[in-house]
Amino acid sequence: MKLFKVLISIIAIGVLFLIPTLLGDNEYYVHQMALIAIYAVLLFGLDIVVGYTGEVSLAHAGLFGIGAYTTGILSWRFGVPFYIGDIASIFVTALFGLLLALPALRVTGPYLAMVTLAFGTIAQILINEMDFLTNGPLGITIQQPVLFGKSLNEQGYYYVVITVLLLSMLLVGRILKSHYGRAFEALRGSPVASDCMGVSVYKYKVFAFVISAGIAGFAGSLFTFNELYIAPNTFNFDLTILFLLAIIMGGRKTRLGPIVGATIVVLLPNLLDDIGLFRDLSLAAVAGVIIFVLKHFISGQRTIKPLIIPVVAVSVLVTSAYRLQDMTNWRITIFGCLILFVVYYLQNGIVGWIRSVIGHFKPEWVARSLIKIDPNKELAHAVEGKTLASADLLSAKKILMQFGGLKALNEVDLTVFKGTIHGLIGPNGSGKSTMMNVLTGIYTPTSGTVSFDEKVISGNKPADIALKGIARTFQNLQLFGEMTALENVMVGLHHTYRSNLLDVLLQTPRYRREEQQARERAASILKFVGLESFINEEARNLPYGRQRLLEIGRALGLNPALLLLDEPAAGLTPPEITDLIDIIRKIKEHGITVILIEHHMDVVMGICDNVSVLDFGQKIAEGKPQEVQSNPKVIEAYLGSQAS
Amino acid sequence: MEILLQLILSGVALGMIYAVVAFGYQSTFATSGTLNFGQGEALMLGAMFGLSLAGDVMGGPYLNYWLMIPAVLIFGAFQGMVVEAVGVRPAIKTKSEFGWIMSTIALGIIFRNVAENIWGKDDMPFPSPISSTPLHIFGASVLPMELMVDVGALLMMVLVELFNRKTIYGKAVVATASDRDAAGLMGINTRMVITFSYALSSMSAAFAGVLIAPITLTGASMGAVLGLKAFAVAIIGGLNSGMGIIVGGILLGIAETTTGFYLSTGYKDVPGLVLLLLVLAIKPSGLFGKTAIKKV
Repeated sequence: MKLFKVLISIIAIGVLFLIPTLLGDNEYYVHQMALIAIYAVLLFGLDIVVGYTGEVSLAHAGLFGIGAYTTGILSWRFGVPFYIGDIASIFVTALFGLLLALPALRVTGPYLAMVTLAFGTIAQILINEMDFLTNGPLGITIQQPVLFGKSLNEQGYYYVVITVLLLSMLLVGRILKSHYGRAFEALRGSPVASDCMGVSVYKYKVFAFVISAGIAGFAGSLFTFNELYIAPNTFNFDLTILFLLAIIMGGRKTRLGPIVGATIVVLLPNLLDDIGLFRDLSLAAVAGVIIFVLKHFISGQRTIKPLIIPVVAVSVLVTSAYRLQDMTNWRITIFGCLILFVVYYLQNGIVGWIRSVIGHFKPEWVARSLIKIDPNKELAHAVEGKTLASADLLSAKKILMQFGGLKALNEVDLTVFKGTIHGLIGPNGSGKSTMMNVLTGIYTPTSGTVSFDEKVISGNKPADIALKGIARTFQNLQLFGEMTALENVMVGLHHTYRSNLLDVLLQTPRYRREEQQARERAASILKFVGLESFINEEARNLPYGRQRLLEIGRALGLNPALLLLDEPAAGLTPPEITDLIDIIRKIKEHGITVILIEHHMDVVMGICDNVSVLDFGQKIAEGKPQEVQSNPKVIEAYLGSQAS
Repeated sequence: MEILLQLILSGVALGMIYAVVAFGYQSTFATSGTLNFGQGEALMLGAMFGLSLAGDVMGGPYLNYWLMIPAVLIFGAFQGMVVEAVGVRPAIKTKSEFGWIMSTIALGIIFRNVAENIWGKDDMPFPSPISSTPLHIFGASVLPMELMVDVGALLMMVLVELFNRKTIYGKAVVATASDRDAAGLMGINTRMVITFSYALSSMSAAFAGVLIAPITLTGASMGAVLGLKAFAVAIIGGLNSGMGIIVGGILLGIAETTTGFYLSTGYKDVPGLVLLLLVLAIKPSGLFGKTAIKKV
């Protein structure tokens, strides 16, 4: 299989380099091929934002333009060679990306989409207006690039672009396979869990965006020398839409998708110029819809509703294809319709669709690249708490948490001693989970302080608190669903990496060693929580009870001094609960202090050293389990008082 | 000094337009948590449709300006329903945020392109329904149409507010806005309410379109930046504050007319967009909005 892949890659690369020779000296097609490659480079970068972090960026045409103009201005005004212009473009555009990302990435989803759109619009306006720098609407014309004293023609530049394409494919692949890539995927899977694993969502989103911007700038710079003329109008909203269409149509989270997508969006206008071909294609679409309809009825469904839209759409398509004489002006409409089509019928893009078809017949060909780990090798120090000096590990003083008029926590004190299991119980709505969120920094308390190891932590960011040694699990599971069990734990181990981006790009020994160690340790942790047989299983496919254990495993990756378990036994079967109790005991033996929120009283009474009871945001009792159990106030909170 | 006053009055009129469009964003966001990224195009379509009825571009005029407005409102409502049915409803069903963002963007560019093909790419003048001789207020000359924009915009917002407060259907909208699931359990057809909010949203945008058209030019590309700046207003004011969008709109409108005059008209779109970036950086819930509590 591996040999097969290598062979295919070599053939593909060979074909790419031979294309100019095969096409003869048709400069137009060589130029179009180079353009496809340039767009593909940009799309590798856009995929980091859209595919991995799951955000919509409408700024990429603007960033592309900034890159193009950086090189353009350097070359036009100062005669700087193209390779230096390329490097300058990467840094200048990354800087602009940073300027945008720092404020913008505090928000997500539609807000971010609008902000990036605003940025793209500003970039275009500024390029247009600052004519002292950019020559305004007239644009910039530059000379052919020169390499080693030789002026490069279309064909020569094509080889440069293809080399860059292959190189960026390799490097982007390396980033996305590393702990950075896992961080990007994790923050999409569950932002709050990423933060609580010490992977700051904000920081890594900014990081992803800046890398993406740098790549966009690089692509823009390549674009300048491919076109030899740039004008502000090129980098408009339509181009942004084109990029987004390309990425979602080609397929997200793959390297092949961008290439497929770029090919489509570059060649589509050519196709629309040829009305005959367009008519043929519309007939093909009719055939497709007929098959879809037949399949729908054969599979026994009788509902008409899902058929309406495809049938209407295809009839409109055919009518317009035969009524209109010229499709060129309807280019944007076609792009819009394609976006709608992809969003509703082809969510994973063409590459994703092909993969799923292949996966239907040969699942092993498309399986996530499995990580092979010797299951019997168990590291001695896989599960280890941070050793901290102070005896009372955590102390919360007079915590008040107010939401509007509601006091979810009303001046609660809580002290947790090192090496104990501290139970936190109370009826539903008593403020237990709020307490959890205050301790881990998700909420900042209205007043009061939390100190951990004698340092005040309230007001710190969740990621910082996590790195100080407080790990947690979630009542509503917050796993990174599309990542494997092993990868989930490896996100917890993110803090063990010292490698920087350069290490990852160059695959230095340091990075390889850290990656190997993290894998082995993650496997050992999975064995610790009894999940060794699920190492390469995607987290969302695990049985419910195992998912709860995986959350514990992931939290252990942080080397916590204190582990907060939020209802770990909820939804577990009795044998699973027995396993859970054993695991919690083992965690304690490894020197990790535990706070346990739980409704199963047998679990709480069986393993806790101390228990605090909350009711309506107030602490009503505290002490040894037996004392608390017989406390009349506690009984009243749970069962109500006797009729009075 | 007169010039400044004049700029302020023009800015207020412009700001009220932003407020009306921003109001459309608020209405869909409240009921469904979604926004129409083609809101600017809804405005443009309203203006173009109005121009075709009241102007001579399509062989008209068929109606005078005042009779044209109800027709445009109906057209706008219908356009909003199309957006909701094609772009938003399927995405709400699959809970795909990416889905509705992309599909409303797609619909927006389709509408723009279709408009370009029907009406051409050039900007056209819109006949002014009332006298275009400027009035003089404290020495500043103001177009009567600008005053009419202020009145029209306020009137629309007051009417919707009355509808929400006084009618049972309005209560259904408010209930859906505050808790969609609970409203559904109480027997409110929330899907219908969402469709309605989209109709209302595009209707207000179309109305804004015919209000502003006589002051500016009408063309297929008039909507894009307007929609974006109205979003800036919605964010600055807060997505859940009625007062906020009026204040935000006026603020932005004045910022724009003064920039256009004192700096260069080329830069007039910049302050709004920069303001958008700043507000999101400093207070993402807007100047008047409430911060939402995230639940874990």
